[in-house]
Amino acid sequence: MVSLPQRMRKLQTKLLAIRLGSGAVILPKDVKRIHLRFAKRIEGGHMGPRKFMQYELIRLKYHNPAVSMTVDRTALAEDAAVMSVHFTQPAEDGTDAQLTDRVQTIDMKLRNNSEILEQLVQLTKAQPVEPTAEEIEELKDLEEQRVKGARDSARSAEVRARVKREKELLEQARGDMAAQVA
Amino acid sequence: MATSRFCPACLSSLSTSSTLLRLSRTTTTTTSIPSAIQHQIRGAASSQNALKYRRKDTPASQKRKKARSTFLQPNLKNAIQFSLVDAMRYLRASEVAHPPQQSKYELHIRLRTPKNGAVVRNRLRLPHPVKTDLRICVIAPPDSAAGKAAKAAGAVIVGEDTVFDAVKEGRVEFDRCLCHTDSLPALAKANLGRILGPKGLMPSVKTGTVVRDIGSSVREMAGASEYRERFGVVRMAIGQLGFGPEELSRNIWAFIEAVKRDISGISDQTAKDVHEVVLSSTNGPGLSLDGTFRSEGSLEAKGLGVD
Repeated sequence: MVSLPQRMRKLQTKLLAIRLGSGAVILPKDVKRIHLRFAKRIEGGHMGPRKFMQYELIRLKYHNPAVSMTVDRTALAEDAAVMSVHFTQPAEDGTDAQLTDRVQTIDMKLRNNSEILEQLVQLTKAQPVEPTAEEIEELKDLEEQRVKGARDSARSAEVRARVKREKELLEQARGDMAAQVA
Repeated sequence: MATSRFCPACLSSLSTSSTLLRLSRTTTTTTSIPSAIQHQIRGAASSQNALKYRRKDTPASQKRKKARSTFLQPNLKNAIQFSLVDAMRYLRASEVAHPPQQSKYELHIRLRTPKNGAVVRNRLRLPHPVKTDLRICVIAPPDSAAGKAAKAAGAVIVGEDTVFDAVKEGRVEFDRCLCHTDSLPALAKANLGRILGPKGLMPSVKTGTVVRDIGSSVREMAGASEYRERFGVVRMAIGQLGFGPEELSRNIWAFIEAVKRDISGISDQTAKDVHEVVLSSTNGPGLSLDGTFRSEGSLEAKGLGVD
């Protein structure tokens, strides 16, 4: 098993990728639900929605845990790929209004993930999340570690290759010797 | 150094000429060959003898290390740990692209334990069951009191010979199997161990699936899940993805308490202790919990239960 700091670096990288990146936006309070409907396979312009689900939707969910986000992938390739955003008007007394007031849709077909996100941000007037100073520091540290790790692994790979080659030659020589004797 | 010395080309030329050299050595004077080369040749040519007198014990550097008797316990000071709400927030986010019915929260309890000895193994009914559609089979005469109680408690299949025949035909349509104590001889005679054994469905006294009070056991089992220690870790699905933090925390505490009880039950055979508690989900990362419910920066807990 790899060492704990190594594992923690990997985990930290993963968690930072959930927190920061494209799609890290805070939706306004009146957004109650986001529903995606697109096809299982990418033919017919369904790749963008899938990429959006893989990358942006995760960060969107992290920053908006109270917004219900559902994915329906039963559509056929020729069907439309639609994102529907459900808005609810907050009631005056502060309690959650259960009735959805309006639903607006975004056509995702033949669009890539960043275009879809742009449209969503435009539609909902969502605020982007900026990385804090600590997070920037952390990202920098992790990047440094990655660069250093790549350098070190290249170096040790070289050493290991050399040792292996020497060992092979030795082995070969021994084999030759045994053949000579026999 | 080593490469030049054992270069195959040199070696082959050396060894092909070695017989010649030896011949020349026997015919002419030995002193003509420098002593260093002579030594080399002798070492190479008389390897039959060398083989015989080779060192038999391997040097200390190559000796196998003694295998450790406990599992590794990394120092958790270096680990990043999370409060429950924070961990759930990450897991919810990483599960968003997956169908919510398929994904579950999982809990991994890492133990401080020797590698051999007794293992933690039991069943537990969580305060909020994870799986509710368990199909239970009861082996008891269907028209007896036990059979009727089993039916009433929610067992799907109740019977003796009918069950045996179905299983022999390969129709195993249940996830758990219980047996009444009086039906055990019949079960033993039916010889189903070959089929049910590998699936872990064969009732036995040891696993607590041969019981007298069928009704209550079925009821207990309906919402119960099994857990066992493997490689020093007890793992179990601990909640559905739709659970809120309070529900999940109740489940987690129930599970930890149960494992601790089991540990104290086998403490006279093997000493164990809980080392680390990790929450993960079907497709998410594993996050070590620090035992707190929420941390300073975490959100309101109520939003985490929505899909």
